[in-house]
Order: sequence, then C-alpha cells, then structure tokens
Amino acid sequence: MTLEAMDARLARLARKGDQRAFAELVSMYKDKLYHLAYRMIGNRQEAEDVVQDAFLRVFKNLDRYDENQKFSTWIYRIATNLCIDRLRKRRNVYSLDSESSEHEGLDGYAMLPSDERTPESELLLSETQKIVQEAMDTLPAKYKGVMVLRYMQDLSLQEISDVLGMPVTTVKTRVHRGREFLRKKLERKL
Amino acid sequence: MECKVAVAWMQEYLDGDLSGGDAALLRQHMSECQACQARYDALARTEALARALPFEPAPAGLEARILASLPKAGRRPAAWTGWVRRHPAISAAALFLVVMLSSFVTMWNQDRQLSVAGPDLDNVVIQGDKVIVPAGKEVSGDLTVVNGSAEVLGEVKGDLTVIDGNVTLASTAHIAGHVQEIDRAVDWAWYKLRSWFGTLAYGP
Repeated sequence: MTLEAMDARLARLARKGDQRAFAELVSMYKDKLYHLAYRMIGNRQEAEDVVQDAFLRVFKNLDRYDENQKFSTWIYRIATNLCIDRLRKRRNVYSLDSESSEHEGLDGYAMLPSDERTPESELLLSETQKIVQEAMDTLPAKYKGVMVLRYMQDLSLQEISDVLGMPVTTVKTRVHRGREFLRKKLERKL
Repeated sequence: MECKVAVAWMQEYLDGDLSGGDAALLRQHMSECQACQARYDALARTEALARALPFEPAPAGLEARILASLPKAGRRPAAWTGWVRRHPAISAAALFLVVMLSSFVTMWNQDRQLSVAGPDLDNVVIQGDKVIVPAGKEVSGDLTVVNGSAEVLGEVKGDLTVIDGNVTLASTAHIAGHVQEIDRAVDWAWYKLRSWFGTLAYGP
C-alpha cells in the first residue's frame, strides 16, 4: 500500500471516530509538522504550539477533508497557515521589517526571544549551519513558507502550489526571490 | 547570451526545469562570464546549504500532549450530517423530491370535490357527483370531470376526460374526440404535467 493510500485509509477511519487511526496519523506527521513549524517560526515552544493546534484542527475538520486531495497536502496547508498567521501577528507587534543599518543582522527578528536553543543542540550545529539557519529566519514570511516547503519538506513546485493555494508561477517566482535573498545574506557571511 | 537571461535560467536550472539544450547554452555563457559563474556557484551553494539543515524531530512528549488535547467522545456529529456535507447536490435533490412529493400527495388527497371544466358548460347538468350531458344536447368543446362520473347521452364535440371517476356512454352518445379515464395518481400527475406544458405552449 502506498503512503498516500495509507493516509487516506487512516483519515477515513479517524473520521468514523477511530481514535487509534488518528493517533497513527499523529505519529506519522508530528515530526514533519514540527520541523516545518520550527523552520518557519524559529522558536521551539511556538512550533510546538502550532503543531498541537494543527492536529486539533485536523481532528475537528476531518469531516471536511476532501479525499481527492492528498492528506499530506491538507495537513501541510493547515500547519503552514497557522505559521504564517503567527509570523504576521509577530510582525505587527515588533515591526520587524525596520532593519537598523548600523547593526548588521540586528533587525527585529534577531531581537526576538525566539532562539532558546538548548546548549546541547547548539553544540550539534556547525557554525555554517547556524548562519544558514539565521538567514532562513530572516526570510520575509511570504518567501519563508515556500522555501521551507521546498527545502525542508522536499515538496515539488506543484505540491507547494496545492498547499498554499496559489498558482505554480507564483510559487516559482517566490522560490527564485527567496533563493536570491538567501544568496545575498550568505554571501556576506560565509 | 545576456547576463539577465543567464540569471533567470540559473533559477530554472536549480528548479530542475531547464531543458538540456538550454542548460548547455547556459554553461557555455558561464564559461565566458566570470560574474555569472560566481553568481551560479553562490546560488548552488545556498541551495545545498539550505537543504543540509538538520531535521528537527518533535520533542518527546509532544505526541502524548496532542492526543490529550483532543476533545473527548461525544463531539462527533451524527453520521448523516457528515454525509450531507460531503454530498450537497444529492442532498438538495433529495430534499427537493421530498417536498415535491409531499405537496403532491397533499394536493391529491385534498382535491376531492367535484369539478367540471370546459369551454362550453351551458348544456351540462350536474346531479350530486354525476355530470350529465342530456340527450339531444351538445357540448361544443372538451369536457373534463374531476372526482365525479360522467354520463353522456348527447354529444361532446371535443375530448372527454374523467379523472377519478367513470364514464357512462348511452347508445345515443356521440363523442368527437377521445374518451379518457384517469384514476391513478401517476396518470393524474402525467396529465397535469401535460396540461401545464400545454398551457405554457399555447396559453390557457
């Protein structure tokens, strides 16, 4: 049985109230969603909240899941939208786009209480990886969703367009701009 | 090749969307243009670095917290509401059918009193639930009797239709058109429908 067929079967069982089937979906997708949320938000606690919220929404809306669509597309869409909402709210609070020119990299994103990485996990990250991660964190929300889905979840452009509900051409443009953005950020630091 | 085109093609190439021929052209350009080569190298490196970020597994205990946060049983709506939501067109059609049928049945049951219709009723005599065309008299057009019996001794120059009743024809009777007896609901509905369309087509 393909992964997709298995997803669809579990979703159908869960819809009928089978708690074990739903638990199975949670265990299959929790890491993927957490990784997605963490890369988009850059904060472990908030990423956890988003994942929990996403599964709650999936659970409540199983009736509305359209089986003609891949389950992964649907669950990614729910999680991505929650992340984008958070990033938007955050921008309103801190007005992050006002980058101060004299402190390179010290824009609002960097001043967030976001990165409470534990010393243990800090050790595992190389200097380069840290710089790449910081560059990802500074991507504008518009490009971040696309880039995270592309690189961290390895989705095709078509799949990203399904998840975000935008035309493939738009996805392509955003991938290109996001790539340019990262290139410029990294060129100065590496 | 202009550098502007080369930059756009680099992106396509990294997307995996550049054809082999175009890729060769791009490579040709980059071998002659240092700036573009450098730019491509930087993009490719960015791509590789972004893909190489370590996977972040969910923290231990998250799964348990998720499952604990779900609302308990009793939240599930009745199965049919889910079905209705998934099949809106069929549901609407079924509802329409139920409404139509019930109104039809109501009409069928209520419509029990005698009625006589036709363009020329001057010579028609009604006794109880019996409609009589007396001997020697004539009705110049169609005659329709609902919920009653028709007894024809004279002449009807059009069709005679009796719904939910019966027809008695005397030997002296002469009917120019068709005689029709209808006493089943389906026939009645069919007749109604036809006369309705007739009205639409030719006017009352």
